[in-house]
Amino acid sequence: MNNISRRKFLLGCGGFCFWAGLGVPGLMTGEAKAADLESKSVGRVHIFRDDAPEKLWKWSREAFSYEKISGSKTVCNICPNSCVLSPGDRSICRSKVNMDGTLYTLAYGNPCSVHIDPIEKKPLYHFLPRSRAFSLAEAGCNFRCLNCQNWEISQARPSEVRHYDLFPQQAVERALRSGADAIAYTYSEPITFFEYTIDTARIAKQQGLKNLLISNGYINQEPLLALCEVIDAANINLKSFDDKLYRKLNGGRLQPVLDTFRTLNEQNVHFEMTTLVVPGYVDDPEMIRNMCKWITDNLGGGHPLHFLRFIPHYKLDRLPPTPVSTLEQMRQIAMEEGIRYVYIGNVPGHEANHTWCHNCGKLLIKRQGYDLSLPGLEDGRCRFCDTEIPGVWNKKT
Amino acid sequence: MKKKAENRILRLVIVTGIASVASQLLIIREFLSRFQGNEFVIALIIFSWLVLGGTGTWAARAFGRGFLAPCLERLSLLSMLLAALSPLTLLAARVLRDIIFLPGSAAGFYATSGYIFGIAAPYCLLLGFLLPYSLFCLRVLQPGFPGTRVYIADNIGDAAGGAFFSFLLVFIATPLQSLFIVNSVLLAAAYFLLPPERRLRVQIFLPAAIVLAVLATALFMEEPSLKRPAGRLVHYEESRYGRVEIFKYEGQHTLFIDGRPVFSDQNVIQAEEIVHYPLAQLESVENVLLISAEGKMMRELKKYNPESVDYVEIDPAVTRTLFNYGMLEQIPVLNVIHRDARLFLNSTAKTYDAVIVNLPEPETFQINRFFTKSFFRLTKQHLTEKGIFCFHTRAAGNYISEPQQRKLSILYKTASCFFSDILMLPGERLYFLCADFEIDAGIPALLSDKNINTQYIQGYFPGNITPDRIDWLKNQLISDVAANTDFSPRLVGIMFSQWFAEFDSTPVLFLGILALGLITYLARSRGEEFVLFTTGAMTMGSEILVIFAFQVFFGYIYFEIGLIVTVFLAGLLPGAFIGERCRNLGRRLFLITDALLILSVTAFIAALYFAGNILPEFVFLVFGGIVSVACGIQFPVALHLGGPENPAAVRAFSADLIGAAVGTLVVSVVLMPYAGLLWTAGALAAMKTISLSYVFLGYE
Repeated sequence: MNNISRRKFLLGCGGFCFWAGLGVPGLMTGEAKAADLESKSVGRVHIFRDDAPEKLWKWSREAFSYEKISGSKTVCNICPNSCVLSPGDRSICRSKVNMDGTLYTLAYGNPCSVHIDPIEKKPLYHFLPRSRAFSLAEAGCNFRCLNCQNWEISQARPSEVRHYDLFPQQAVERALRSGADAIAYTYSEPITFFEYTIDTARIAKQQGLKNLLISNGYINQEPLLALCEVIDAANINLKSFDDKLYRKLNGGRLQPVLDTFRTLNEQNVHFEMTTLVVPGYVDDPEMIRNMCKWITDNLGGGHPLHFLRFIPHYKLDRLPPTPVSTLEQMRQIAMEEGIRYVYIGNVPGHEANHTWCHNCGKLLIKRQGYDLSLPGLEDGRCRFCDTEIPGVWNKKT
Repeated sequence: MKKKAENRILRLVIVTGIASVASQLLIIREFLSRFQGNEFVIALIIFSWLVLGGTGTWAARAFGRGFLAPCLERLSLLSMLLAALSPLTLLAARVLRDIIFLPGSAAGFYATSGYIFGIAAPYCLLLGFLLPYSLFCLRVLQPGFPGTRVYIADNIGDAAGGAFFSFLLVFIATPLQSLFIVNSVLLAAAYFLLPPERRLRVQIFLPAAIVLAVLATALFMEEPSLKRPAGRLVHYEESRYGRVEIFKYEGQHTLFIDGRPVFSDQNVIQAEEIVHYPLAQLESVENVLLISAEGKMMRELKKYNPESVDYVEIDPAVTRTLFNYGMLEQIPVLNVIHRDARLFLNSTAKTYDAVIVNLPEPETFQINRFFTKSFFRLTKQHLTEKGIFCFHTRAAGNYISEPQQRKLSILYKTASCFFSDILMLPGERLYFLCADFEIDAGIPALLSDKNINTQYIQGYFPGNITPDRIDWLKNQLISDVAANTDFSPRLVGIMFSQWFAEFDSTPVLFLGILALGLITYLARSRGEEFVLFTTGAMTMGSEILVIFAFQVFFGYIYFEIGLIVTVFLAGLLPGAFIGERCRNLGRRLFLITDALLILSVTAFIAALYFAGNILPEFVFLVFGGIVSVACGIQFPVALHLGGPENPAAVRAFSADLIGAAVGTLVVSVVLMPYAGLLWTAGALAAMKTISLSYVFLGYE
């Protein structure tokens, strides 16, 4: 019998541990999978133990996608947080609870915020300009952005906010009555009220309304594909191009968001991208260049990109606002990298609020706030050089 | 020989008092500029300082022997260490903030508390330790040396330090320069505490040289330690009201006051909103009053061709800096007034077509004064018949949380006491327009009628501020609220709730631990300690009460506020003299002084309530003086009753500090915001009544 050397033994053990650690998910036991998933939680993001209500309320539904593991534990499959919940626990996004081994959403038909907005406010600049969006939000979010504008609803439990009673059918009826052209799932994070979003969107689609997803894009493939069937346009935040920054500023990760962009692109959903330029964090020219390179390499140059000016807010209130010249520099980089439609937001009167033909450079859409004129656009083409302009320009498209 | 040594120790105690009060004021300002400058944090800093000091004092009982047995050399070395710790504490407070927390981010209550405690602990513990330790050293030289003399020396130092900083240092030196000045004197006093032959020994000389090097090196760290994650510091100034900084970043100048960005020169939106929302309502604009102003406001104001624009800003350093860096346009009709705005309005008969208040959130008692019934009434008196009043506050556009709902409702209720029409516009911030005519929400159309062009309003207003949103906002108001008044600053309490909500936390745990600790402490304390504890709480509580009431009636006046603080510190001194002389009266003196305290606080509040508007300034000083003297009297008596042993003196010093700490916290963050001025005064009087009954019934 050959003697095994101590070195080989250690290497062997190391190799075993490595492969065992990687594990083939299908071969994992429930406990191991739960432990694996729990270990992946990001920094300050955590589930809420023993925080579920005593009993369900009227605005509860069984979750769209989850797994039962190891007894009565559940894993939510909606977003990459993959919250592993024991009975009585609440998810990171605050809207899902495990009740006796079944995962429920508590955010269904109880929006806390309902308004009608111009579509440009989302911002969606290449999708049915001048149309109006009936906008809905439920409480909760799977991120922890330090600069969240809507933290009072995104960082709250559904039971902590005042809300309307508006189940999907009623929401659609109300949107129709208001004369809106679309329903926008927005303000907080529609991925956390996925069940409400998809059910409402299905009915809205049947009734001829468009569906708009305004989101951080932190969603798993399976639910995203289901959404793609009913969503007409999306604005997805690309908060930075650095996983460390995602963890620090947002409590999430970058890769799942990039995967979302790829899927939306493959599924031919119209989408636009938004990056909030946070001074000292999301304003590194090299990072922005890499981000734009990735966009053009993977998604092409036709998807509009919005650089937004940061204003100190919520927990990120000790930074200056973004200088306009920084936004201009970011825009220049993006255009150099081949992104054709790059806008600057939160800077009234800036020429980068308008749409310029990427081919001939002529003015296509002039925006003064939400007041638009379309001097150079006709049937989705540049009136001057007949170039097709990416986007959805009329309702029949 | 002994006498000389005693005098040197007492001199050292005085110099320590001077250096420590100057250090305390500077380190408190530093913490304030690094964290949320709300009343809770202010109280928390003072509380931490006093509790840590009290703990240090208490620790002297346990550690003031053996290795640290009292001797002159150790006292000298420890005092030198204190001198070095002062600038190091300030630098740590400044620099570690961005290492421990994410640069540019706010910190919640518990994180702030932990940071303040951790950073201030070495300095405060040592400072607290040194006071009884000095007494122990004196008692080595002369057994039974009266603790009162150390107490008196400490009070002399404290009062002198407060006055020296508030009336001189703050005007001539930066924080680290100030610390260099006061701690060099402390270093010298510590070094010369020893006889000449011992000063040259390496174990004394070398530490002294190192401390001097630390103090000198710190002088060069002032501006480098103010670095920020985004931008270059181009202007830095410590005014009497706070820290004024300008950071330049990619061509944009941003003004930071006390560490928070106030405005930048590229903010078009807010400048347009705050000027045009009110002025668009007026047929003609002649006289405008701005209470604080920013960036591009003057450019927008010019579009109305006003005859005069009075711009009131309390801090001359702010206006000087704004004009120097072109952040505020100098227009010919502009008249800059450096005064407290309430004081200014009280002193002028001029009327205005528009009064525009551009202040931050009412997180402090000082800012709250501009959101009360009295101020709104005053404003109304200075408006022309067709005049308009505008102020703004923070509120999210898509959902109004419960604290915000209460805040808006209180503001609406307060304004509706004086104005027949109030319009709330949910813009970048939430704007209140108040007038006695029907206010028109169609601002873009009004501007078009006047041929006034804007970059933001005309394009964005129709989408952002729809009639639906205006109605929705009004429907959020709750009617079951009381108006915000000077005496009951309800908005401050709501701002606390909002702050805790932002961090998903609650002060209950902290207050619970505090209550538990307090109960344990009081259960174990002796009778005279209890009296001193209540006296310490009474002094600090009254000081906060007096400063608050003074601001309400006279406006914020730096020198007078400084004078009040000095009176409170200085009054202890004659009190201690009297107490020392009459200490043989024992508990009877407690009874007399407690009764005096109860009577004086009752008389003061009655005077404020019935004749607040006509009370002369000296009444506030006299009240402060009486409280301070009464407290000063009690200390020697407590020391006398406790006996000549060191532990008794330590307990007395600790009781005073812990009482002061608790008084600060409870009055600032519980009683004043939630119960109002009258109930606060009532609570202080009730606390002293308990103390009086306790003494009267005999606490043995």
